[in-house]
Amino acid sequence: MQGSAQPVLLLRGIRKTYPGVVAVDDVDLELFPGEIHALVGENGAGKSTLASIAFGEVRPDRGTVEARGAVGLVHQHFELAGRLRVWENVLLGREPRRGWRIDAAAAHAHVVALAERNGLAIDPDAFVDELPVGIQQRVELLRELDREPAILLLDEPTAALAPAEIASFFATITALAERGTAIMIVTHKLAEVMAYAHRVSVMRHGAIVERTLAAQTSGEQLARAMVGGDLPPVAARAATTHAPCLRVADLYGGDDERAVRGLTFEVRAGEIVGIAGVEGNGQSALADALAGVIPYRGTVERPPHARIGIIPQDRLAEALVPNWSIVENAMLGRQHRARSRRGMLVDRVHAREDARQIVERYDVRTPSLDATVKHLSGGNQQKVVVGRALIDAPSLIVAYNPTRGIDVGASALVQSRLMQARNEGAAVLLISFELDEILSLADRILVMYRGAIVGTFERDAVERAQIGRLMAGIA
Amino acid sequence: MKRALSMLSGPLGAILLVVVLMSLAMVVAGTSPIDGFSALFLGALGGRNELGETLVATTSLLFPALGITLAFRAGLFNIGAEGQLLMGGLFAGAAGAAIALPPAIEITLLLLLGAVGGGIWGGIAGWMKARFGASEIIATLMLNFVAAFLALDLVSGPLKGPVASGAETAWLAPQYWLPTLLPHTRLSIGLVIALAIAVVLQFVFTRTVFGYDLRAAGEAPEAARRSGIDLRRLTWLSLALSGAIAGVGGAVIVTGELHRFNTQLSPGYGFTAIAVALVGDLNPLWVCVAAFGFGILEAGGLAMQASAQVPKDAIHLIEGLIILVLAARRYVAARTEVA
Repeated sequence: MQGSAQPVLLLRGIRKTYPGVVAVDDVDLELFPGEIHALVGENGAGKSTLASIAFGEVRPDRGTVEARGAVGLVHQHFELAGRLRVWENVLLGREPRRGWRIDAAAAHAHVVALAERNGLAIDPDAFVDELPVGIQQRVELLRELDREPAILLLDEPTAALAPAEIASFFATITALAERGTAIMIVTHKLAEVMAYAHRVSVMRHGAIVERTLAAQTSGEQLARAMVGGDLPPVAARAATTHAPCLRVADLYGGDDERAVRGLTFEVRAGEIVGIAGVEGNGQSALADALAGVIPYRGTVERPPHARIGIIPQDRLAEALVPNWSIVENAMLGRQHRARSRRGMLVDRVHAREDARQIVERYDVRTPSLDATVKHLSGGNQQKVVVGRALIDAPSLIVAYNPTRGIDVGASALVQSRLMQARNEGAAVLLISFELDEILSLADRILVMYRGAIVGTFERDAVERAQIGRLMAGIA
Repeated sequence: MKRALSMLSGPLGAILLVVVLMSLAMVVAGTSPIDGFSALFLGALGGRNELGETLVATTSLLFPALGITLAFRAGLFNIGAEGQLLMGGLFAGAAGAAIALPPAIEITLLLLLGAVGGGIWGGIAGWMKARFGASEIIATLMLNFVAAFLALDLVSGPLKGPVASGAETAWLAPQYWLPTLLPHTRLSIGLVIALAIAVVLQFVFTRTVFGYDLRAAGEAPEAARRSGIDLRRLTWLSLALSGAIAGVGGAVIVTGELHRFNTQLSPGYGFTAIAVALVGDLNPLWVCVAAFGFGILEAGGLAMQASAQVPKDAIHLIEGLIILVLAARRYVAARTEVA
């Protein structure tokens, strides 16, 4: 489709450094109308920085950006005003006016038409902070589409979406491309790249190391180009003995729509129990109740003095202090344990030692142990969170989307470590929106729908289609 | 333009900008900036007596500024240091006039009572926030007024000194006065106490588990809560400790400077101290430096008024400017980090 066409976006010799890192190193890239171009690479490879440069939000140290037409960017971390309604967010800054007032009726109609035109169902009057992540992304997308960009950049667009949402998202994107928009997707989900992209550029350490047509490559080949070699294999499943560890009975808690309603299940030592389900069906309430941060009714029994390792879903808001160093973050949640303190004082020797151990065992890419975690890439932040949760050899692990938004290499490492913990006798509760992750790790799968468990599958008797139906509430 | 902005965002640039703005203010007031500045600095640092007065002001600002630093680091906006200072002074003044113990014990007791008075005042706000979710900004601010009127009522009636002409307690006997640090000045050893508290505070922040919890709660409350920190307990405790530090300051003013309690104890130290804490970047050791800087302005401002006919209010204008420049600095820094 590109062939003789003129590129609408042309990046030449782009270089951008941050203190201690070369984020983008002499990159050329062009984007043609009507194509879906995938920019893939591990976390920290420089993809997001390159997208921000193309958008004009970050200024490169060197190089030129030429764009013919408007450029839109949908961020990985949404930039929405939560207390405003959907239509207000979509038209923020471009509201139709009647005199000095906003013409709410016209704005409303405009957003409804825009959503319909793009096949994105949405309630224009909903408050954004009350919407699930997948719908919030739709709002971001609509906001960009309203500017009718010739070039649309999408940074990790499917990181927070459920499988069904992903399919409808790509239907929208494909239709847009067919109408001539040039689209660049920054991602590390290779299956999606293979299914929907036309061209692929692979980034590693700030440089583009491979350019190819999607039709002429394979997921495997791309993965090798991304990590610069072979992927670490996920640890094998070992035989374990099963003593009861966590028993939950008649658990009720959380807010109306997304509450848990009478959950009963058991996780035994040496097994991974996977909770499958579409986001918003009570997973957060379950995780929060087990973490003890929301009130609940019902029974939660664990062995006395059991050490619990928790991997919360939102690493930046719930698990890390972004302005702190790796050393300080390595102690968070463990600061009251005997190992981390000498009387009233922080045990700085142990804190450093533990941080070093996490960095080494989890291959955290960082200039130093004293680096601020907000300057690490998402994958490396997640490695710190997972490493910290597992460092004290917990007997119970609650992992909520442990590989969300991180690249293939980091995901494989995290999944491997969870499997190893299980092999060594930990009870693992894995709550994940990625069905593939659950299918590959779990010994037992519970399907959660509207706050209740609607199906249980042993590992050797899994029916994928049936699980999918149960997740959607149609079985 | 960009270079100019990044220059400005450095501390040197900030000082330069303040000097320029001060000069403008002096010109507007009809004085040459050279006369104004020399009057200011001679008045603040030109001799033993001047230095003494500057350090007295430094001390009075440092206690509430350190208290504010503790609360702000915990993510709690304590705007009530003025009231906490006053309550500390009231407790110390009332007890000092009534009790007679051996001097060393009595002075220690009075300082501790100052901590109790300020601590209760901060603790009330903390309890309101922890128990009912009341905004600590409103609670601490409003408690300033309660403290002011309560203190005025008490020293106009029950606590009024038998021979006092105005609303004040009886004078403390001279053996209960805080020892002088710099002979022939009004500077007491209160300065040493304040500096010691700054060092202890820095140690608490960087080395203790409590300080770790406190900073976690201030930096990332949700992550802190999930890490097992009891945020309610931390809230009231931090505000009580914050008030206690300011309260010791009140007791130091009573025992070291006024030698009695009255409601003119503070000309707004508790509010200026907010700027001191922010200029010091909420780092206890830098807060000491910032308090000295503001001490120069406070003490030098009086001299400037007398000899260069620049009204003392110009000093408050300058303090306001410093806060503005500081806020702008942060804004510029945040912008350049993004770009």
